[in-house]
Amino acid sequence: MGLPCGTHNYTYAQDMAIMRTKTHWALLIALLVLVFTAPLYWGDYWLSVANLIGITLIAAIGLNILLGYCGQLSIGHAGFIAVGAYTAAVLTNRLELPFLVGLIGAGLMAGFIGLFFGISSLKVKGFYLCIATIAAQFIIIWVINHLKITGGFVGIAVPYADLRPFSDFVFDSEASLFYLIMVITVMCIFFAKNLARTRIGRAFVAIRDNDLAAEVMGINLFYYKLLAFFIGCFLAGIAGSLLAHWIGFMNTEQFSLMESILYIGMIIIGGLGTALGPILGVIFIRLLQQGMMFVAPTIEAALPALPAGFATGIAPMLFGAIIVLFLILEPRGLAHRWMLFKAAYRLWPFSY
Amino acid sequence: MVYALIGLSFVLIWKSSGVANLALGGLILIFSWFTYSMVVQAGLPYWLGLPLVIVFAMAMGWLIERFALRPLIAQPILSLITVTLGIFYFLEGLAVFIWPWMVDALPPLFPPEPFRIGPAVVAQAYIWAAVISLVLFGLLTLYFRYHKMGIAMRATADDQFAVQACGIPVTSIFSTSWMFACVVAAIAGVLISWIGGLHFGLVETGLKAFSIVVLGGLDSFIGAMVAGPIIGLAENIGGGYLTPFLWGGLKDIIPFIIIIIVLFIKPYGLFGEVRIERI
Repeated sequence: MGLPCGTHNYTYAQDMAIMRTKTHWALLIALLVLVFTAPLYWGDYWLSVANLIGITLIAAIGLNILLGYCGQLSIGHAGFIAVGAYTAAVLTNRLELPFLVGLIGAGLMAGFIGLFFGISSLKVKGFYLCIATIAAQFIIIWVINHLKITGGFVGIAVPYADLRPFSDFVFDSEASLFYLIMVITVMCIFFAKNLARTRIGRAFVAIRDNDLAAEVMGINLFYYKLLAFFIGCFLAGIAGSLLAHWIGFMNTEQFSLMESILYIGMIIIGGLGTALGPILGVIFIRLLQQGMMFVAPTIEAALPALPAGFATGIAPMLFGAIIVLFLILEPRGLAHRWMLFKAAYRLWPFSY
Repeated sequence: MVYALIGLSFVLIWKSSGVANLALGGLILIFSWFTYSMVVQAGLPYWLGLPLVIVFAMAMGWLIERFALRPLIAQPILSLITVTLGIFYFLEGLAVFIWPWMVDALPPLFPPEPFRIGPAVVAQAYIWAAVISLVLFGLLTLYFRYHKMGIAMRATADDQFAVQACGIPVTSIFSTSWMFACVVAAIAGVLISWIGGLHFGLVETGLKAFSIVVLGGLDSFIGAMVAGPIIGLAENIGGGYLTPFLWGGLKDIIPFIIIIIVLFIKPYGLFGEVRIERI
């Protein structure tokens, strides 16, 4: 297998390449083919799980840009997703605009709301910022609950996604939605991977490591911090729009503070500030969630001695414990483990 | 006034170890339900049940510090914040796990007759809550000013390395401050659930308390005590007067709006110490 075994680049093109060998390309194409033919051999259940993972992944990539690269902690991510979801819902349901308009509108709306709350990041950081974003979460949900146009506590129905200006195709099955979500997800992954390698991405990392030093070196904090908030929340809005069209019915219950914390948990488990991290973390957490949905009632039925709240309580307990354990034992997340594994594989049987 | 107590609990930990305890909401929830278990389910009288709650709170504080936070000493602030979020998640799950029926009430400790101050009529529970908060505040202030451990805690907050060089065990200071903070949170939880009943809204109450520490300044006891009533009043009066103009339920988010406003205008709060950053 032609996997790279060291840094020996002779041209800039080699140095810049993401895919460094032909085997890399082959593996990537094989993976993409595998993903995009998945509806042929997966049932609707697994497709819906995959859809959920895809949507979550888009939001998690946004949060990773904000938190992992730029170091701005946001505990209101579910709130920003809610902004996107409701914007899409209002645009497509109340105003009957096409899906694509709703998608872009959702991203922009969430981005601008994110900008507004991000302004506080210029003055404060660390704990203060995290309080500000918690406040953002509650204010957003409250406003959505009390606006007439969003349906308030009752919720709002969302029509199927379509491609109206171009064709009459309607995404009304799990499989068609799967393609829609996967295409956007792959685009987002590609965007995030490349963003980190540009001037903007390097500025973000500098701000994360020490924002004062970054400013002294001539990085415009105002511009880059707000840009990070905009990009992060824009992706959250896109994810929200897809979520709205996928579920078909919106209700603020879906965007609780706990969900926001779970998003942070996902990228911590995956690995902060890596392109691979959110992918691993999201898949890990969402599969665990699905697994718990099966396992918990079974355990409960088998052991009647357990307290009555077992089935609903065990999942948050487990997730909380996993977040704490990862922070203590492997703060760099699964992505780091994967790197270690790759290094060990490449050098085997030598240890250096 | 009870908000002020929750704020105190936060300030305690922040002052001694520089950890932002976001798990407060979860802690208050757990302690309130634990009181319920002791007093209602196990049928213990209050004089026995409440000390047990205090002991439980101390144990909880010690456990959290020992197993979640000590391994993270000297890690970036991001890890410290997120680890408390993880604990928060865990505690909320634990509460659902053990007490799944969501809403209940503690039997009243204070007589129901209202208290009259001039023309004002106040329920006795509120008076007691205020008195207990003030007493606790006084005790803590004295403790920090005169007791050896309290002085050591303040020193730790100032400079951990220097304190360690003086032979003060920093880790045990952290444990102690967590235990103290949990006891204060437990008392606040019990008081609040006496007044408002037991439900999962307690989590939100814990989160609203952050508006107090932000307004009062993160590292100031007096800030928490001053800001507590301000927020409480703003919430109730503002909710009362503004609701006709806006939507109902405004009361619930006034503390969060205050947080945003304070952060925009005066990010270090009324009594907080302004940090000057160096590279």
